[in-house]
Amino acid sequence: MAAHVLTVKELRKVFDTDQGQVLAVDGISFELSGDEFFTMLGPSGCGKTTTLRMVAGLETMTAGSIFFDGEDFSGFSSFQRNIGMVFQSYALFPHMTVFENIAYGLRVRGMAAAEVGGKVGRILGLLGLGDLAKRYPADLSGGQQQRVSIGRALVYDPGMLLLDEPLANLDAKLRVEMREEIRRIQKELGIMTIYVTHDQEEAMSISDRVAVFNLGRMMQAGPPHEVYSNPTSLFVADFIGKANFFPARITRSDNSGAKVALTSGAELALERLNALEPDEEAEIADGFDATVMVRPEHLVIGRAGGDGLSCRVRRIQFLGNIIRYHAECADASGEVIVDTTRLVGGLEEGSEAAIAMAPADSILYHKGRA
Amino acid sequence: MTTAAPAGPAVARLRRRIDWLPYAIGALTIFVLVAFLLYPIVKTVMFSFVKSGDELAFANLTLVNFRRFVEASTYQNALWHSIEVGVLTTIVSTMLALPAAYAMARVPIRFRNFVLALFIIPIIAPPFIGAYSWIILLGRTGIITHYLDSWFGIQLPSVYGLFGIVLALSLHYFPYIFLFVQGALAASDPYIEESADVMGASRLRILRTITFPLVLPTIFAGALIVLVKTLGNFGVPAILGGGYYVLPTLIYYQINGYFNLNGASAIALVNVLITLIAILLLARVNRKRRFVTVTSTARRSKQHTGLGARIAANVYIWTLLLAALLPQIIIVLSSFAKQWAASLFPTAYGFDNYVRLQETLGEPIFNSLVLGGSATLMCVVFGTLAAYAAVRKRFKGKWALDMTIMLPFVLPGIVTGVAYLTTFNSGLIVLTGTGTIIILAYFIRRIAYIFRSVTASVTQVDEKIEEASTICGATWGRTMRKVTVPLIAPGIMAGGILVFSTLITEISVTIIIYSVEWKTLSIAIFEQLTNEDILGAATIGTVAIALTLILVFTASKLIGRNMADMFR
Repeated sequence: MAAHVLTVKELRKVFDTDQGQVLAVDGISFELSGDEFFTMLGPSGCGKTTTLRMVAGLETMTAGSIFFDGEDFSGFSSFQRNIGMVFQSYALFPHMTVFENIAYGLRVRGMAAAEVGGKVGRILGLLGLGDLAKRYPADLSGGQQQRVSIGRALVYDPGMLLLDEPLANLDAKLRVEMREEIRRIQKELGIMTIYVTHDQEEAMSISDRVAVFNLGRMMQAGPPHEVYSNPTSLFVADFIGKANFFPARITRSDNSGAKVALTSGAELALERLNALEPDEEAEIADGFDATVMVRPEHLVIGRAGGDGLSCRVRRIQFLGNIIRYHAECADASGEVIVDTTRLVGGLEEGSEAAIAMAPADSILYHKGRA
Repeated sequence: MTTAAPAGPAVARLRRRIDWLPYAIGALTIFVLVAFLLYPIVKTVMFSFVKSGDELAFANLTLVNFRRFVEASTYQNALWHSIEVGVLTTIVSTMLALPAAYAMARVPIRFRNFVLALFIIPIIAPPFIGAYSWIILLGRTGIITHYLDSWFGIQLPSVYGLFGIVLALSLHYFPYIFLFVQGALAASDPYIEESADVMGASRLRILRTITFPLVLPTIFAGALIVLVKTLGNFGVPAILGGGYYVLPTLIYYQINGYFNLNGASAIALVNVLITLIAILLLARVNRKRRFVTVTSTARRSKQHTGLGARIAANVYIWTLLLAALLPQIIIVLSSFAKQWAASLFPTAYGFDNYVRLQETLGEPIFNSLVLGGSATLMCVVFGTLAAYAAVRKRFKGKWALDMTIMLPFVLPGIVTGVAYLTTFNSGLIVLTGTGTIIILAYFIRRIAYIFRSVTASVTQVDEKIEEASTICGATWGRTMRKVTVPLIAPGIMAGGILVFSTLITEISVTIIIYSVEWKTLSIAIFEQLTNEDILGAATIGTVAIALTLILVFTASKLIGRNMADMFR
C-alpha cells in the first residue's frame, strides 16, 4: 500500500455571523504523509477546530484546496472522504450498545452481518473493550466511552483519523494514559492522524509534528523539540513552555550576530537571530528595538556579585525533579523564571542574586528594517 | 483534664439554635396538601361507593353507582367515547406536530421566535368559544362547509360528535407535542448526527436510526400530556358533543341535571382510572428509553437549506398554524361584527359588542384576575417549598410527596370540581359558593406546574452554594431568601405565568363550583353561549385571549425567555 498524502493549501474560512463576518481560518497550508501524527495546537478560537472540520467535510471552505492522494476533496461529502472522527463529547449514540455503536459505520456500508461481527470483535479486542460489547454508553466510564468512540471511528479502515480535543473531558491521570493508548493504536494501524488540542503537554508528547495556531494562522509547524527549542516567533516562544523575555536595543549587527544592550545597559553578544514576523525576513538594523528570549533551564542563577544581571529572588518552588526560582529583574519584562536541578547555596527568598545566560541558548527577536 | 471551657459571647452566639422555620413551613405544606388535596379525593372515592342520599358509613357501602357502567348504555358509550376520543386525538395531534417540529428545528424559518410564539395561542385559547367557532366553520351552514361543497362538491361529516371533537381537540393540544419535540430537536447534541454523517449514513438513515429514536421519549411525553388533557377536557365535547357523551360531560350532566354527587363521583373515579391506565401504558412503552442528549456547544444541528425543503417547511408550518388559529380568528372577527346572521361573513363591523358588554365585562375580568392571581400566589409559595424539599432533603416518604403533588395533574378538572363539591358542601369545612373554594381548587389543579418548573431550577443550583451560606452563619430562611430564591426566580416566574395564564380561561373545575358572585371570564362566555349571544361570547373570548397574551408576553420579556419556551 502506497503511503497516503494529504495536501492542504491556503485554506480560508469566513463565518457570517450576526455581528458581521469573522475570519476564522486565514491561509493554512500543510502536507502530511504516511502514518504521520499531526497536532494542531493553539488557544481557543485560533481556528484549529475549524480547520479540522473543513478537512472532515463538516464545514465548507471559503477558499483553498484539500487533496488526498491526489484527489480533490472539495466536492466530496464527509462519507466520500472516508475518514474516522472522534469528537470531544464522544457523540456516542446513547440508544445503541457498544457493539451497535461500533458496527454502525459498517452497517451503513452494507457489510454482511458475519463480517460486521468479526471486524467489531477485532476492534473491541484492540481497544480492550471485549466484555463491554452489550453495554450502553451511559453505563461506561469516561475513558471507556472514549475508547468506544475511537473504535467506532477506526472500524471501517478510514484513510485518516481526525480527533477533536478527544481527551478534554477526562481527568488528568486518565488523560495521560489515553494519549499513550491513542499513540500506540495509531502506530499499530499506521493511520494518518490529525489531532486538535489546546494542551501543549499533550501535543508535545504525542505528535510527530506540532502546528501552533493563533488567530486563524499557523505560526509554526515542526517536530515538538524543534518548536520548543527554536520558536520562530515570540507568540510560539511564550505559548510553548515557559519563557523569559528581556527587552533590548540593537547596538551593532552583522550577518552572523548582533550586540544588544539591555535596559540596565548590560551588553550581550548573540548569534541566534529571528525576525519578529517570520514570513518577512527583515534585515537586522542598528538602533532597533528587539527582545531576547531564554528558556528557564538555560538561565543560571547565582549569588549576587557574580556574573550576570542583578535580581532579587522572590520565591523558590520545589517541583520535585526541578527547583524553580522566581526572581524580579529590572532587565526583564515580567518575572524571570530559572529552573535548576540543584539548590543554589546562599540563595533564599528575598536575597539578591545574579542571572547569567549563554549566547547559544538565547534567541534574539528583532523587528529590523523591512 | 483542664481544658479551658470555650467562653465568650461570640462562641455563645454561635451555639447551635434550633432553626424551627423549615419545620413550620414543612408542616404547613403538608397540612395544605392533606386538607385540600388528599381529603377531597378520599372523600370523593368514598362517596362513589355510597348511594345518593345515604350517609357516609361503612354499612352503606355499595357498588350501585358503578353498576350503570354495566347496565346503562349511556354510561358504556361515554366510557367508550372517552377512550376513542383520547386515542384518536393523541394520534392526530402527534401526526400534526411531528413534521412541524422537525421543520421548525432543522429548516431555517423566518421570524422563528414569532412563529413559535404563535403556536402557544391554541393552548391558551378560551374554552367553548373555540369549539363553537368550528360550528361556524364546519357546521351545516358553516363557511368551510359551504365552500367545500360549492367548489369541490365535498361533503364533510357532521361537526357534532367524534369528528368535530377530535378535530377541535387535536388542533387545540398538538402544540404541546410540537413545543416539546421542537425543543428537544433544537437542543440535541449536533455531534451525534455529525458522527453518523461522517460514517456515511444518509440523511434518511440518520433520521430513522438516530434522530427519531432519540426524540421518541419526548414524543411520548408530549403525547401523554395530550392524552391526559383530552381525557379530562370538558369544554369541547360540551359544545360539539350533541348526543355524544364523554365521561366529563356525563359527570356534568349528572350534577347539573340531578345533583347526583354520588353518581358523579363514581363516573369521576372511572375517568381517573382510565387516565391512570393510559399513563401506565405509555410509561411501559416508554420504559428504558431515557436518552436525553443536550448539546454543550453553540453549534446547531445541520440544517436543510435547499429551496425545496424551505418551501415545504414553510408551507406546512403556516398551513398548520392557520388551521389551528382559525377558531381564534373567527372569535376575534365576530367580536367586531355588527351583524352576523344568514350570511357567510359579517355584513358590517364595529365596536358595538364591546360597548354593549362594557358593564358585563368588568366583573368577570376582575374575578378571573383575583381568583387566578390568588391561586397562582399559593401555587408559587407551596409549589416552590415542596419542590425545594423534594430535591434537597432526604426524607422517608419523599415518593409520597411527589405523588401527591403530581396527582392533580392526572385528575380531570371536572373530577377536582366534583371532589370539592362533595367535600366542602358539608362536613368539617364548608366552602361552597365562596371564592375561596375556587382559589383552592385552582391551587390544587396547578401546583404541579410550579413544582415541575421549580424542581428543574433547583436541580441546577449547586447545593454547595447553599452550604456556603449556612457555613457563613445564615439561617435556613435567610439562605432561602438571599441565595436560593434569587437563583431559582426564573423557574418560579415561568411556572407562575403558566399557571396564571391557564387559569384565566379555566373552565372544567370552575363550571362545577362557581357561584353567581364569582363568575369568571370563561363562565361569562358560557352564559353568553347559553343565551345564544354568540357575538357576545366571542367578544369576551377576545378579551380573554388578549389578556392572556399580554400577560405571557410581559412575563417572557421580564425573565428574558422566548414565549414558546414557557410552555415546555
